[in-house]
Amino acid sequence: MFFLRYPLRPLTHLGRVVLCIALSLLAAVLMLISPPSQADDSQALPAQSPYFAVDSADPSVDRLPLKSTSVDVRIAGVIADVTVTQHYRNEGQRPIDARYVFPGSTQAAVYAMSVRLGDRLLTAHIEEKQQARIQFDAARKQGKTTALLEQERPNVFQMNVANILPGDDVAVELRYTELLTPTDAQYGFVFPTVVGPRYNSPQGAAAQEKWIATPYLREGVAPSAGFELKVSLDSPLAVKDVVSSSHEIEVEGLGSRHAQVTLASDRSDRPHGNRDFILGYRLAGDRIESGLMLFRGERENFFLAMVEPPKAIATAQISPRDYIFVVDISGSMHGYPLETAKELLVHLIGGLRASDTFNVMLFSGSNRMLSPASVPATRANIDQALRTIAQMGGSGSTEIVPALKRIASLPKQPDVSRSVIVVTDGYVSVESEVFQLVRKNLNQSNVFAFGIGTSVNRHLIEGIARAGQGEAFVVTKPEQAAAQAERLRRMIDSPVLTQVKARFEGLDVYDVEPQQLPDVLGGRPVVLFGKWRGDATQPTQGKLIVEGRTAEGAYRSELSTGERETQTTSALRLLWARQRIATLSDQEALEGGQQQKAAITELGLRYSLLTQYTSFIAIDQVVRNSNPALTPTVDQPSPLPEGVSALAVGAEVPSTPEPAAWLALLVVMGIVVATVATQRRR
Amino acid sequence: MHQVILTTRAARWEHRLDAVPPIAWLALQAAALWTHWRWAAARLADGSDDPLGLAALCVLLWAVARLAPDMRSKPRPAWLAAALGLSVAATASVFLSPPLMGAILAALALACGLRAFMPSDRACLPLAGLAVLALPLVSSLQFYAGYPLRVVTAQASTWVLQLIGMDASRAGASMQVDGRLIIVDAPCSGVQMVWMAYFCACAVAVVTQLSDRRFVRALPFVGLLVMVGNIVRNAVLVGLEATHANVSPANHQAIGLVVLALVCLSVVAVVRGERDARA
Repeated sequence: MFFLRYPLRPLTHLGRVVLCIALSLLAAVLMLISPPSQADDSQALPAQSPYFAVDSADPSVDRLPLKSTSVDVRIAGVIADVTVTQHYRNEGQRPIDARYVFPGSTQAAVYAMSVRLGDRLLTAHIEEKQQARIQFDAARKQGKTTALLEQERPNVFQMNVANILPGDDVAVELRYTELLTPTDAQYGFVFPTVVGPRYNSPQGAAAQEKWIATPYLREGVAPSAGFELKVSLDSPLAVKDVVSSSHEIEVEGLGSRHAQVTLASDRSDRPHGNRDFILGYRLAGDRIESGLMLFRGERENFFLAMVEPPKAIATAQISPRDYIFVVDISGSMHGYPLETAKELLVHLIGGLRASDTFNVMLFSGSNRMLSPASVPATRANIDQALRTIAQMGGSGSTEIVPALKRIASLPKQPDVSRSVIVVTDGYVSVESEVFQLVRKNLNQSNVFAFGIGTSVNRHLIEGIARAGQGEAFVVTKPEQAAAQAERLRRMIDSPVLTQVKARFEGLDVYDVEPQQLPDVLGGRPVVLFGKWRGDATQPTQGKLIVEGRTAEGAYRSELSTGERETQTTSALRLLWARQRIATLSDQEALEGGQQQKAAITELGLRYSLLTQYTSFIAIDQVVRNSNPALTPTVDQPSPLPEGVSALAVGAEVPSTPEPAAWLALLVVMGIVVATVATQRRR
Repeated sequence: MHQVILTTRAARWEHRLDAVPPIAWLALQAAALWTHWRWAAARLADGSDDPLGLAALCVLLWAVARLAPDMRSKPRPAWLAAALGLSVAATASVFLSPPLMGAILAALALACGLRAFMPSDRACLPLAGLAVLALPLVSSLQFYAGYPLRVVTAQASTWVLQLIGMDASRAGASMQVDGRLIIVDAPCSGVQMVWMAYFCACAVAVVTQLSDRRFVRALPFVGLLVMVGNIVRNAVLVGLEATHANVSPANHQAIGLVVLALVCLSVVAVVRGERDARA
């Protein structure tokens, strides 16, 4: 022993006694207060951002519980009724809870949900959102199979299914209805299949919203879940020109009043479930189903009016305009979406008149204007702008709010009309802030929004257009760029109908939506929802009169209610409520906070509709999982939308890291040892 | 020869205290500060810091073991008081400051205790340096000094690349070189090189028995060498990345190790230079 061999030497008395007492005290104090050994990171909030899914280290857990989604669409006239069935099957050895974030149509009125578990059918009921969450958590902890459907955005939903036992096949069926509004006599039905990865601004109100932290499969990896869709079209007029710009389809009954559409197996093996399904069709004679539909309910009666607008007539006098193009060049736009956007800008900017002025803002994490102020749309200026845009590559985050604030602060000539044209995929989480900003600060301009890509965030695009009194466009591929640019030009040059007003004669209506009709910029009908009072025993008589101004002068259109009452349009009550909720949500976005929470919750509960404040919940009363506390939650990964690169989630940027610590230490120790050796030789 | 016969109980206890070797007193002091070492060990065990400190600890223990036979039987009161004061401060810091600050005070307290027993012709500062380097320092250094180091490295590398005709600019700790974005992120800051170079300086100073004064004089040169070394390493790697040369991770490592070796050899030369100047 070292200490025993060491010769004992005396210490001075004072030093030893003082040291001994002090060290004893120190040891005692430290023993009592011994601090936690881990660094305290309890204040650090986790980042809520999309991420790439990684394979499980535990093979007994099924990380891909969603096996398939099947969609059954029934379109009757202008109303679509959609049934979406999600099949969850646990092929692992451990029970799991599944979470799946999926998209929906922006206009969807989700009104029912049911869960089929083996031979049992559980019907979900609507609940206030927090209450539903409490019930779900309680049932989950008790080991009961339960499903909760929540709305995160009008077009983003989250499904939670708890306690899926090994071998379970859980089919969750949800139903929604929506109104199909034609544009230029072309009807369209869109079924989104994937939520694009959202950039979550740390400064945004949604920074801590957990649904945004959704896993994504790597670029080029096909979705793990199957996708089937069929559409049944019933129309009073023959259906023609049934096309899909997104998928290969097979159509039966073309030219008749009943057509069936199914997905065809794609020749290039493209998966079906990684982009919006977009279906377009026309009716015989390029007519639209205009008119006034009445529904007589048990307690309330509803109506829907759709008025075909007059044809656009080019005005002789076209006043010069100032165009500001706001172009998203963030990581999610990299590649195909940005190439599509560039093609669009070639047509938009290239088609400006010499009397117009323009400027371009490119934004991602930061933003920059191509010119300090708007420049005349001369050939040289246009070519210069297009050359600069052509060199851009997509990278970085999507700070759209600072970009729009800068646009709002740009000086504007009082006698020049300004159009702001936003070009983006919409993969952000700050929709409300954007709508508020557009409505409050860009109200002196018309704001048009172009959604670029195969799975655009249509809630943002449509919301910007609505808030900015403009129009929304979606361009899924470069070939559509010229036509959409031309459509915008026509719309700006010759608005179809302004100062639109609607009134009813002979029909006692109330709760009409929208309360103020927007200008009709082109190709879209005027749509009105509302309620009416009437004697249940008497046929309803009355008429709707729509008035406004066109390029040729005053406009007036009448629709009679006679013989238009029907008992088959019960969806009108849901569509009215959905429209009222949208109006209240817009109002709430403008005011900030949750001012309309009570009103929206009341509507959701009364009409059994999914809203931001109400959720569907279904609970099995049988306790099936004996150990729910140890049941892992599995986040179902989504595929990256077709054409969207990995940069949308995050990409590796080269850096210059130091060598591995152990290698570096070996080198340094080698040098030290060599120094010792040479020292000894000396 | 006279022998004192201890007749009282107190006197016998006093004699036993006098008989305790210096190394045991140091061990007792270290034990009194145990909670700081426990924190350091937990930091290493939970992976929140690289276990580089173990190397410094090994060298420190080796150096103390070499010194032990020559330790003074009568400690210097001034250094003993300093050891006591720092031990109290380390204990008080548990209430007042982050755990790392307390651990540094504890390491310095131990170094003062060592100094109290060390022969007067031996240097203590390199040992104090090793005691501090034995703590889990790198992550905290990265947190507090990482960003400034990254910015300085990025800016100096930008100038170097501009000098050789490349189109380089810096924004924050990122560089845009010939249209390519390259980030100087935390692992590029040079903090690890700082630790390696100072560890090398302390170890070589112990081996060469450099005096405290000359050791202190060498330290600024060590800092300068690290800064230059990291800028050269970063500029070379950024230059290669910007030219789209496919630099494999192994080549990244190799370049980093070569530069580190050059820096450490220069540190050895500086320390030896100081020693030779002494001679």
